[in-house]
Amino acid sequence: MAANRPLPGKRDESVKILIVEDEPKTGDYLKQGLSEAGFVVDLLRDGIDGRHAALSESWDLLILDVMLPGASGWDILRAVRAAGRDLPVLFLTARDQVEDRVKGLELGADDYLVKPFAFAELLARVRTLLRRGKVQATDVLRAADLELDLMRRRAVRGGRRVELTAKEFALLELFMRRQGEVLPRSLIASQVWDMNFDSDTNVVEVAVRRLRVKIDDGFEPKLIRTLRGMGYVFEAPEGV
Amino acid sequence: MSGALLLGAARRPLSLTARLALVFAAFAASLLLVVGLVLGKAVEDHFDELDDHDLSAKLAMIGHLLGQVDSEAAREALPRRLDDALVGHDTVSVELLDAAGQVFYSARAEGFAAQPHQHGADTGWRSADHRLIGREAVFTMPLPQPQAVTARVGLDISHHLHFLEAVRLRLWFGISVAALCAGALGWLAARKGLAPLGRVTATARGLSAQRLGERLSERDAPAEVLALVEAFNGMLDRIEAAFRRLSEFSADLAHELRTPISNLMTETQVALSRSRGADDYREVLASNLEEFERIARMVGDMLFLAQAENGLLPRPAETVELADEARALADFYEALAEEQGVAIAVAGAGRVTGDRLMLRRALSNLLSNALRHAERGSTVEIGIAEAGGRVALAVRNAGDTIPPELLPRLFERFHRGGAARERHGEGAGLGLAITRSIVQAHGGEVEVESAAGLSTFRLLLPAVGNSAAGRPPNPVISPDEAPP
Repeated sequence: MAANRPLPGKRDESVKILIVEDEPKTGDYLKQGLSEAGFVVDLLRDGIDGRHAALSESWDLLILDVMLPGASGWDILRAVRAAGRDLPVLFLTARDQVEDRVKGLELGADDYLVKPFAFAELLARVRTLLRRGKVQATDVLRAADLELDLMRRRAVRGGRRVELTAKEFALLELFMRRQGEVLPRSLIASQVWDMNFDSDTNVVEVAVRRLRVKIDDGFEPKLIRTLRGMGYVFEAPEGV
Repeated sequence: MSGALLLGAARRPLSLTARLALVFAAFAASLLLVVGLVLGKAVEDHFDELDDHDLSAKLAMIGHLLGQVDSEAAREALPRRLDDALVGHDTVSVELLDAAGQVFYSARAEGFAAQPHQHGADTGWRSADHRLIGREAVFTMPLPQPQAVTARVGLDISHHLHFLEAVRLRLWFGISVAALCAGALGWLAARKGLAPLGRVTATARGLSAQRLGERLSERDAPAEVLALVEAFNGMLDRIEAAFRRLSEFSADLAHELRTPISNLMTETQVALSRSRGADDYREVLASNLEEFERIARMVGDMLFLAQAENGLLPRPAETVELADEARALADFYEALAEEQGVAIAVAGAGRVTGDRLMLRRALSNLLSNALRHAERGSTVEIGIAEAGGRVALAVRNAGDTIPPELLPRLFERFHRGGAARERHGEGAGLGLAITRSIVQAHGGEVEVESAAGLSTFRLLLPAVGNSAAGRPPNPVISPDEAPP
């Protein structure tokens, strides 16, 4: 199982994340949520402190608000990149403005989230950023008695071959690569179908339901779980 | 401060009325001035001719008298005869000089002495306060022995000059009065002519949100102002329509937000009304989350629409093959369509310049809408065709015919195809409005038709290479008005 942990070779507990966010509630719930997800989180509430901390300590990821007292998120990003640090930076912004996005990306931001966002979405993106460049070259993904052969494009559960369409295969691969993570519908739509906008999320529901019929119906344990209002989790119970 | 005010006042252009009055006055004055100058010159010339004639006559008369001096007696009588001849001609001066230059006869010749003389030529000089012109000629007097006699004749023309002066004075006076009158008339005419503008102003002043229905009468507007009145009324029409739509829109928005918020409040209050188990709380939170998502999606869509209306969407940049996008979306919606027993077919091809993500979103909304209303067992057809520099993308589904009166409103915000087409849990009726915004930002337009159980939504976009015709000016007042 260890090979399929979200962060191969590095446990979540040792991952340090710095959040710079001046909105009190947002900052608090981000810190709580990410801490409970197993990260070591530090929260700062203004741009000057944030920039100082970003440069003086070692972090695995920065989460920056754009509008901050003292120095903006961009200032911090600029300072970090100028210091030659290559760590991933995720921006939070209330402004869904194209110029913002372009500016952020030019300065070297790795991802963007526009408020209001779902926490599950944030968590999923944080994990994506942390995993970047660390994906294991595996040929076969496993969970319980389900095997996904990436080379031969075959899925086998309990020794029986499961026929999947191309998109179902891609969906299952996403689930199996990110076991134990909550995957929001929008993230699934984006990763599997390249639909990077708020699309009709019924589609994802239907697709997941059909995949479930193929890989979970008639098998135990059930691998895909629905978290109401959050998304889906693919997980094999411990010890199976 | 007052300097700035003065400066401001000085910079302000003259009113139209004042300008017209000034132009009238200046025009009348210059016209009359020319006429006056011409007349004055004519009168002057006429007097000159008279004087000339007079002088010639006097010289001829003197020559005649000198010629008659054929005896000593006649010589003695000459001064008297000259005096006789000059009786009553008190504007005439005469001086006769013998060959030695001695004056031997003079009448009123006070002014001659100092003057230079020229044979034959008119000479003008002033003597005392009279103005004279003079001429001289040489005659031969037979006695006592034939000798040359120089005769000088002067003519006092000061009364002519007085007359001319008086005429000029009156002309100036007349011209000034006429110019003033013309100016005053111009002012009156301009005021009268510009009165319709005043009415436009008054109407504009009287407008308020409650009285947007007022219009100017186009019937009694003069031709020059008619265009303004029409434009003004047209502007009022658009403002009124936009205003009405905005009020409806805020009402809809409030209504749409009220439902999830009231759900949230009720649910939370009920949950808090007594102590419950963790699962119950979890259930409430999850349910709340769904409502929050609904609100968040609505706010996101509203923000998108607002940006589109303010021209903040990214400028179209890449070449997009619509067929590829349609197929990707067909792929995305395949599972959902199958569940509903509907097939999706894509045919044709066409390339446009634009933003891939946005075009995909526009098309996605159309497809989602078509699937929602498609009959079980039917096929949703996406047809793409290029013609006349435009690419038309049509999404057709079989289902209920949309009543004609609803068609024009389908692309408006919060429209949900009437009561019969109840919402399917999601989409606050902003999807088609977003589609239209995106298409308009790409310089295209949207169309819809519905007949005999077939509804077709069509996007018309400039084809690649034709997008220069592209982007319309950003709508300022009425985003809901399709550009003509």
